[in-house]
Amino acid sequence: MKKIRTHAPRKIGLAAWSKQFDKIAEETIRKYKYYNNDEWGIYFSPPATFMVYGLRELKRLKFDNSLEALRMWGFVFNETERLFRAKQINKKLIATMGDLGTVPVLVMAFPDCIPFYPECLWWTPFFKESTELLDTASKLGIPEATCFSRAVAAAFYKKAYFPRPDLIIASTGASCDDYSCVMQVVENMGYEIFWVETPCRKSPDFFLSRPKPQILEKSSAGLVYSKILEEYLIKEYQRIWQVLFKLTGVNNPHRLTETIKKVNTLRRMVMEIKKLNAEAEVAPLPALELMTIEFGNLYGYADFDEWVEIVAALHQLVQKRVEKGLGVLPKDALPIAWVTPSADPFLLNLVEDLGCRVVATEYVINQSLVPIEENIEPLRALARSFINASLIGTTEERVKNIKEKITQRQIKGVLITNMLGASHCAMETRLIERLLGDVPVLAIDIPAPFGITQQIRTRIEAFVETLR
Amino acid sequence: MELIGYTCSYIPLEILSATGLKPYRLLHGEISLSQKGETQVRIDACPLIKSNLGFLLENKNRFACIIGATGCDMSRRMVEVVKTFTDIPVYIFNNPRTDNFEIYSNEVDGLVNELEQFFHRRLDKSIIEKECEKWEKIRQHLISIDAHRRTHPSALSTTTFHKIVKGYHQGKFEEIAKGVPEEISYKPRIYLLGSPISYESGPLLELIEQRLRICGDFNCGLSRGIYIRVTEKSVTGLKKAYFNQPPCIFKRPNKRYYEWVEKDIKATKSTGIIAFVLDYCDNFDFEIPQMERCLPLPILRLKSDFSFQNISQIKIRIDAFIDVLASLRGGVV
Ligand code: SF4
Ligand code: SF4
Repeated sequence: MKKIRTHAPRKIGLAAWSKQFDKIAEETIRKYKYYNNDEWGIYFSPPATFMVYGLRELKRLKFDNSLEALRMWGFVFNETERLFRAKQINKKLIATMGDLGTVPVLVMAFPDCIPFYPECLWWTPFFKESTELLDTASKLGIPEATCFSRAVAAAFYKKAYFPRPDLIIASTGASCDDYSCVMQVVENMGYEIFWVETPCRKSPDFFLSRPKPQILEKSSAGLVYSKILEEYLIKEYQRIWQVLFKLTGVNNPHRLTETIKKVNTLRRMVMEIKKLNAEAEVAPLPALELMTIEFGNLYGYADFDEWVEIVAALHQLVQKRVEKGLGVLPKDALPIAWVTPSADPFLLNLVEDLGCRVVATEYVINQSLVPIEENIEPLRALARSFINASLIGTTEERVKNIKEKITQRQIKGVLITNMLGASHCAMETRLIERLLGDVPVLAIDIPAPFGITQQIRTRIEAFVETLR
Repeated sequence: MELIGYTCSYIPLEILSATGLKPYRLLHGEISLSQKGETQVRIDACPLIKSNLGFLLENKNRFACIIGATGCDMSRRMVEVVKTFTDIPVYIFNNPRTDNFEIYSNEVDGLVNELEQFFHRRLDKSIIEKECEKWEKIRQHLISIDAHRRTHPSALSTTTFHKIVKGYHQGKFEEIAKGVPEEISYKPRIYLLGSPISYESGPLLELIEQRLRICGDFNCGLSRGIYIRVTEKSVTGLKKAYFNQPPCIFKRPNKRYYEWVEKDIKATKSTGIIAFVLDYCDNFDFEIPQMERCLPLPILRLKSDFSFQNISQIKIRIDAFIDVLASLRGGVV
């Protein structure tokens, strides 16, 4: 195998990356494949390929220059192809929606079942710098002042972004409404939906009198909740298990135990990457890659096994860089926390270019970051891990970790990215500003694709000034 | 403190009332209250939520506690905002969004238990029975009043009905007890759907009824909730009655909502529908295309933030809607 020259870590654009790609040996490219298929499963390609396919924003974005990151991007951008392939080879596609990270674990415990999150399509209009999906959503009657997850309804309508799922599982209840409304629109289009209840994590603050200790429990992330919630969730997961059993004819709890172990391997690695990144003197990976890694916990971008290996490689890369004191941002980059994922990936680049470094995140997916208990009954373990969900509890609980980091002076400021009209953003932003008010907080509304203006830049610049 | 605040039709008010306080449904919608609420949440929060917050900020001392529910996302989160910005104790009622009676039943038991502890009062069988009787009588009376709206020709305006039904939601019964005026109307009959109608929505209803007659509705703040029939006067009876009430549009799936509305539209002999949607109320706004597909009548969508800045536009749209109704019926509406 041809030796690949390693470059000093930095962020590079499309052209530099294409050049670098040319130097990669054929056998390296052929080594990595999805669904372990030698014939059509190769996904390693330079981002320029995907730009040509329509992801126009790639020409503006800057990426980490490592082979590991390149591999990751090839895999992530190849997802649509992968989903159609999955269907061609008779795998069952299960759209898992709204719960962000737990239902896929159940799905993966069934043979040849591939979970995927249609709501992750909310990034597509931004990567494509196109309002096509959003315009279609408007034509379907979805108001413009709502979360960009409305793109999902358009994707179901257009039938071009993923094959028709064999089953759609959608969570509803004490969670984000925009998304639940989007899914109701999808159901109205004639898709059959299996709805799952996600009750509210009632912390003692939402009791009038002090609740009896025996009715309470503490989650792995230290959140106090009413025990009965666990039982509710177990019953919901039993319903899901039954429906998957009906679909596949397989009923093997042992597979769930094994899947949980695999999921935990990934979750631990991602937590470790986050930790290394936050504690290193120089940022070992850019925020854009880190966000993509964090979101991979949800379902492994539709090939969990391959994703685990990709993250393992990135994990090693981060370790090496930290050991050598190498990184991609200047040493004096200002540590900030990021609350709510940005629908426009370009913002992550921009904030770094303007002098910040993301060392803590609250991307509404806390539930997918915690390890699942392995020594108890698996459905209970799943319930317990989901109880840490960001959106089913209070805002105070949601930003608890960030608050702690502020107290420990690990963070100098907080950036919140909002969607105009998105239900939880509308209600939470002021609260977050108040709760985290010990450091400067900047809340920005994500504009429509290709809509980042000079005004937004100026606001971020001013924010950075206040942090210095 | 005379009031116990609550936010949703799925919270049995008999149980709240059994505490000895007046159950007060949070249904405010007025621009200055909304602006006050805006000091604590973003401008793009629902105007009803902002008004309720504004009202609570101004009337903190009147509330012993607030019982919120997991209805819509904003409404659930309002409770946390109240807790953060006032000293009013709050409680969250987990109202399932799917057909899950077990959760609902447990939550009602939890609520009883909680109120007993907080108010140091046993909500025993006889208290609950008395409350059931009292409220059922009031609801029956309101249903008989509503019947005047629904007759052909309609004998009561929704503007008046709204004033009467406010008493039910605010725990004051003087208005309810008064006689019903005779307000026969031959104006085109329409059915009202959409976001909750607030206490201050009178002018909007009046504006609509200058040209049309609302002879039925499916709105919180109007007749939603008065059709709850409690036949078994116990906590168990309350659970059954409240769980099986006319289904809220937030339930997933919300097929039963459409079935109910379609039946009621026929029963009221409505000729058109007005869908009233508050700004940023996704739950209703997202459903308009489905309403247009499923419901057999022409629909006029009215959007509002309670400011009435768009009043002349609303007037013009109502006139145009009347023309549509007329054109569909050979000029007769
Ligand atoms: S609209 Fe539904 S959830 Fe909201 S208050 Fe009314 S009944 Fe409750
Ligand atoms: S009007 Fe709509 S957004 Fe506002 S509380 Fe009611 S349902 Fe929620």
